Amino acid sequence: MTIWQAEERLRRPIPQDPITKPGGDGDGPTRPDVKRPDTNELLKRMRRIDPEQARRYRQRSGE
Amino acid sequence: MHRLIGLETEYGLYVEGRGVADLLIDAMSVVRQCPFPAVRSWDYRLEDPRRDMRGFRVEQLQVDPQDVRIDQEHPVPFSEREVRSDHVLGNGARLYNDHAHPEYATPECRRLLDLIAHDKAGERIVLTCAQRLQHSIGCRVALYKNNTDYHGSSYGCHESYLLRRDIPFEQLTANMLPFLVTRMLYAGAGKVGVEGEPNPRVPLQLSQRADFYMDIMNVETLYRRPIFNTRDEPHAPMRHYRRLHVICGDANMSEYATALKVGTTALVLDLTESGWQTDIVLHDPVRAAQRLSRDPDLKWLVETDLGTLSAIDIQRAYCKAACEHFAGRDPETDWVLQEWQTVLDTLETDPDLLADRLDWVAKRKLLSLYVESEGLSWDHPALFALDLEYHNIDPHEGLYYALLEQGQMQRLVSDEAIEQAMHNPPMDTRAAVRGLCVQRFAEQIETLNWERIILRHADQTVRLDLSRLVEQDLRPLSRRLTAAPDVTTFVRMVKEFG
Repeated sequence: MTIWQAEERLRRPIPQDPITKPGGDGDGPTRPDVKRPDTNELLKRMRRIDPEQARRYRQRSGE
Repeated sequence: MHRLIGLETEYGLYVEGRGVADLLIDAMSVVRQCPFPAVRSWDYRLEDPRRDMRGFRVEQLQVDPQDVRIDQEHPVPFSEREVRSDHVLGNGARLYNDHAHPEYATPECRRLLDLIAHDKAGERIVLTCAQRLQHSIGCRVALYKNNTDYHGSSYGCHESYLLRRDIPFEQLTANMLPFLVTRMLYAGAGKVGVEGEPNPRVPLQLSQRADFYMDIMNVETLYRRPIFNTRDEPHAPMRHYRRLHVICGDANMSEYATALKVGTTALVLDLTESGWQTDIVLHDPVRAAQRLSRDPDLKWLVETDLGTLSAIDIQRAYCKAACEHFAGRDPETDWVLQEWQTVLDTLETDPDLLADRLDWVAKRKLLSLYVESEGLSWDHPALFALDLEYHNIDPHEGLYYALLEQGQMQRLVSDEAIEQAMHNPPMDTRAAVRGLCVQRFAEQIETLNWERIILRHADQTVRLDLSRLVEQDLRPLSRRLTAAPDVTTFVRMVKEFG
């Protein structure tokens, strides 16, 4: 058993092409624009949430 | 990926003004709003959830005593079949009411991108049903893709992986246990607090599900849930196949997290089938998982037979073996290997950089913003509500979707691919036969399940056996089936294939 030590960690396999998607054809992952998040908008949306919602939220056991 | 893989998600359901005793009927009402073409039947005759991989059948499966009490006090005037409200859709998926949760089981997929598209298609399908119910009854109906109600009830997001039966059970469990426990580093959806602790010392733990692990392995799913589920229901010829039924994972909102979770698990199964075996043995896996999930310092140390190891290094041992065996095999495998390494390295150096990919990191960043802005402590009830709303699948309400809208989460599939998956099966698996048959000959289908379709045609009962169609790429057959002029030709084409 070889636990990866920091200095001997495997180098990544060098992809033949830049790998951006799992699978081949079809759409691949796209990095989001590296804009800063609009924190005001996110906060507004979070403040709209009823703080009691989780207290009311009851479920039956599923699998 | 070369094996058949599927995801089944039980959604949490909230209907304004209704209580927990109403959920069975409410989930049934949601499913019955399905506006998409479907066959409303499911053939249960091949199911045997009490059969254990260890070679026995349990007398009965355990159930949550609270649910037993609810059923006794609030009996419903419907048969089991009516309550289940089974639908098999034209994309090969199954939609039904499972234990008071609308459940969507994706069709069997072979490619990760197909699986992600079908998982997201499931969200849109159940959301459509919920919105129709909301319009019909005039009360708010919300669906949550999560795994806890914060009051002691859990519901699952299960993964199914078909694998060879000749792998010794002990080798399978030895390889899977350390991997399944530690993959929550990137597959965890994050959860505020600890189940059953009103004043938790843990602000946000990695996993939604870890609090509910009670056993290392068993056949249960509803109560005393294990890390390794031993249900022996391959949905394929039992002589040749097992199905690994992973029930310990979280429901992920992030497409990337789902892809990494499923992709790495499939690679560990590839390793297992190749004869590779780990020599890491966890001490007390249940405790290890809970300790790992709740570690506020993010040190993620795990006790093993080899001493105390970092969960990151345990994952690296698996990743390294997978790289050595499978690098260069195909683009999808290389994507998983590369992302796996990147994520492990980043978790070690600066986990916050993964906020655009991993649910627990995204949630932690989002909730930290709120905590700082409002001057709250992490045990404030509002935090639980925000946690819940991260998983709301309505894009206009859910906090995950707020991040997505701002371009803060990576995507793997386009809206068009998801829309396509809502109506069409993956064409390379047996789901194509099921989906195309539902699309074209629903009237003639008597009943069906993962393994077979029973048709009534020209006063005869015709059985289409799908159980043998698990290895081949079915695209050539699917193309022909799409053009089949009638049901007779459709049946003949399936029977002649392979």
